[in-house]
Amino acid sequence: MLRLLMLLAGLVALAPAARAVESAAVTSPRSTVTLIADRAAIAPGEPFRLALRQRLAPGWHTYWTNPGDAGQPPEVTLALPDGASAGAMRFPAPERIPFGPLVNFGYEGEPVFTIPVTAPAHLSPGETFTVTAAANWLVCERICIPEEGAFRLEIPVEAAPRATAPDITALFTAAEAAEPRHAPFTARLGFAGARGAIEIAGPGIAPGAVRDAFFFPAEWGVVENAAAQPLTVRDGALTLALQRGPAEALPARVEGVVAITDAAGVRGAYLVGAAPGAVPQAGGGLPLRQAMLFAALGGLILNLMPCVFPILAMKAVSLARLSGAARGAVRAHAASYTAGVVLSFLALGGALVALRAAGGAAGWGFQFTSPVFVGAMAWLMLAVGLNLSGVFAVGGPVSAGGGLAARGGHAGSFFTGALAVLVATPCTAPFMAAAIGAALAMGPVEAMAVFAALGLGMALPYALLGLVPALARLLPKPGAWMEWLKQGLAFPMYAAAAWLVWVLSEQSGPPAVLAVLLGGVLIGFGAWAIGAAQASGGRVGRIAGLAAVAGALALLPMLAAAPPAARAAVDAGSEAWSEARVAALRAEGRPVFVNLTAAWCITCKVNERMALATEGVRRAFAERNVAYLTGDWTQGDPAITALLRAHQREGVPLYLFYPAGGAVPLVLPQILTEGIVLQAIASQGDAS
Amino acid sequence: MTVTITRRAALAATGALAFAPRLAAAAPAIGAPAPDFALPDQDGTLRRLSDFRGKVVVLEWTNHDCPFVRKHYNSANMQGLQRLAADRGVVWLSIASSPVGEQGHVTGAQAKELTASRNAAPAAVLLDHRSVAARAYQATVTPHMFVISADGVLRYMGGIDSIRSTRVDDVARAEPFLRDAMLAVVEGRAVARASTPAYGCAVKYVDA
Repeated sequence: MLRLLMLLAGLVALAPAARAVESAAVTSPRSTVTLIADRAAIAPGEPFRLALRQRLAPGWHTYWTNPGDAGQPPEVTLALPDGASAGAMRFPAPERIPFGPLVNFGYEGEPVFTIPVTAPAHLSPGETFTVTAAANWLVCERICIPEEGAFRLEIPVEAAPRATAPDITALFTAAEAAEPRHAPFTARLGFAGARGAIEIAGPGIAPGAVRDAFFFPAEWGVVENAAAQPLTVRDGALTLALQRGPAEALPARVEGVVAITDAAGVRGAYLVGAAPGAVPQAGGGLPLRQAMLFAALGGLILNLMPCVFPILAMKAVSLARLSGAARGAVRAHAASYTAGVVLSFLALGGALVALRAAGGAAGWGFQFTSPVFVGAMAWLMLAVGLNLSGVFAVGGPVSAGGGLAARGGHAGSFFTGALAVLVATPCTAPFMAAAIGAALAMGPVEAMAVFAALGLGMALPYALLGLVPALARLLPKPGAWMEWLKQGLAFPMYAAAAWLVWVLSEQSGPPAVLAVLLGGVLIGFGAWAIGAAQASGGRVGRIAGLAAVAGALALLPMLAAAPPAARAAVDAGSEAWSEARVAALRAEGRPVFVNLTAAWCITCKVNERMALATEGVRRAFAERNVAYLTGDWTQGDPAITALLRAHQREGVPLYLFYPAGGAVPLVLPQILTEGIVLQAIASQGDAS
Repeated sequence: MTVTITRRAALAATGALAFAPRLAAAAPAIGAPAPDFALPDQDGTLRRLSDFRGKVVVLEWTNHDCPFVRKHYNSANMQGLQRLAADRGVVWLSIASSPVGEQGHVTGAQAKELTASRNAAPAAVLLDHRSVAARAYQATVTPHMFVISADGVLRYMGGIDSIRSTRVDDVARAEPFLRDAMLAVVEGRAVARASTPAYGCAVKYVDA
């Protein structure tokens, strides 16, 4: 009786989808299973899809091809009319389904397993294409029940394929999006004893961009299914630590699916495979002690880097002065300078760790991505140079960097160290990537230890001077040459300022360059006025000078407001999104495809490479005269935020297709395939 | 080298495992000493694996209501293997790990009744209601099979055969991994495939 009721309930549930070509359901208290087609009618010779559609009762699950610790994947045997062909059944990317200490790989809810079919060309419209299928599936909760069923589907044949009910089309679109897909990722994998790791490298992978990841091996026994896979992410690659499973030998090539949940919470599944090799090391693979050693060495070498050199010029002056000083003074200066360097590295490191913890996509040298910071640094360099040139003497805050040697203040030494670090970081980016990557992958405490080592390495030459006073005796005696040296060293500072203006021009374009140069003039004026006041003892010059400096600082917001150059690589053939541009294009009667993306969004990058940049999509865009607009949300454009909100989204990606003449845009899924895009563009014809 | 585990150590290990979120850290390994255990049999007699030193031992994880287990009992495949084992002097231990309230949970009396009604022939049915042996062997499914040589070394772990299904028809078609491994160990030959995919229903563990 219950069975009968369930069956009736199933039939009633199916009634509204009457237009869908769907078989009678095989039902149990655990599952409702049908065979379904993605067309209301098929055409001779055309490819289409069938699917085994499972609707599972809460708590029950079915299995992926590798079911994990227990279970069995569903099997379908199709009987097709003569001349028709079918491909292998496709499985959605699985979920981890824990059961006690075990973990299975499978599905809860409503998994859909698609099967590509090609109708024979010899069919004629009016015929019926009859498919029968025998299927079996194991459905488990705490207990497992093997189920099976026979299905029959009669699909009308018409001259042209006819779309099925919208909810079924959406079902197939969602199923396709849930299937693992190819991605521009390269994988490396290896085991040493029971421990191993897989590294996935590819565009868009960065610490702020990956929330979670898991590797599902295609074959049994390669990895311990229940073992956690600790994730480490660095720029360009993620690493999952794996535990070797019970299989005696690894396959020649380990295949599988990596599921990556990005910062926006979108889960994408990608096919990956690699021949087993050396164990990929997380974050560059350095143990802490080694990372610290390399960091210290790197810090030492930083002293020779072009971006640090100007600062060292200042330090050279101070050393020259020290050569005549008492041992205690030398030691105190060395200690102050070392403290300045180390604490600055710790401050930078701490800021970076905090930013990453907050989910930001900060990279090393992040402060140089801020135009305001770069502009301010250019002015500071200019001011220090003017000081060295003798335009003004120390006395204001600027003296922190430049005037230290003259006054011999310990604060001066400290701030020289701090300044050296601030300017040194962009140099460290290419040079220290491995150590810093390792540091960030290790966790906050270890990261700070590596940053401290970096600072100690950089300060080492001066620290040695303090510890071994004999070395100080080797320094030349003070004399008139020191003034020449000091004035000569102004020029590296000017060069540094010039370099920073160039950096700014790359970042923010001509208006920002104008602002920073104007500010430079004001700084120059201020320095001159202050210098004049120092010479004459007047107050007016001093006030005018400070006013000029304040005026320069007031220009800083202009740098921030300058429109940043487009950051995310905008696809060739697309133009920048704006509300007005969309309206204008639609007024012209053109269909519009909008891609809202960000540089740190992996799902976006994969979609762009695998679904939007393909030959087929480009051709379809061209043929149908589709305007392709890209909106870059890398820096959180408020207009794009508003558009996202309007579609109930908290983040990118968002894909919208505005058909020509149609009022309502079509919202595409966040996981795109070429087929989904092509179908969306083709639907234009249906809509009009 | 012989490994003896005192009752206290075993209890301590059990206690520690109760707090371990996952399976025991040390995975059973082919060629390594098989983890010892002490479990009551169908008559309440405490049996230790080490009691059977000198004989080849087969461990069969079982849950009589699991469709994969039923496949091998309904086809009489399991009983045939148990009788073959007995003929060759192999000690066959069926281990029922399901805790109270879970499918496959049996008392000693129920175990004896099942052995009789299914015409089964294990040397003993061991009751692992606390999942102690299951954790030690990282048993994942029913049936999960292990073969231990006379010197107490693990020689085989994995599936009973090669076809992962619940269909009785598949038994005859499958490659009999467990049978091959058991006979190889009895005859002193190397086991051709010492670790194979175990398939079946998930072992029901006591909540850790």
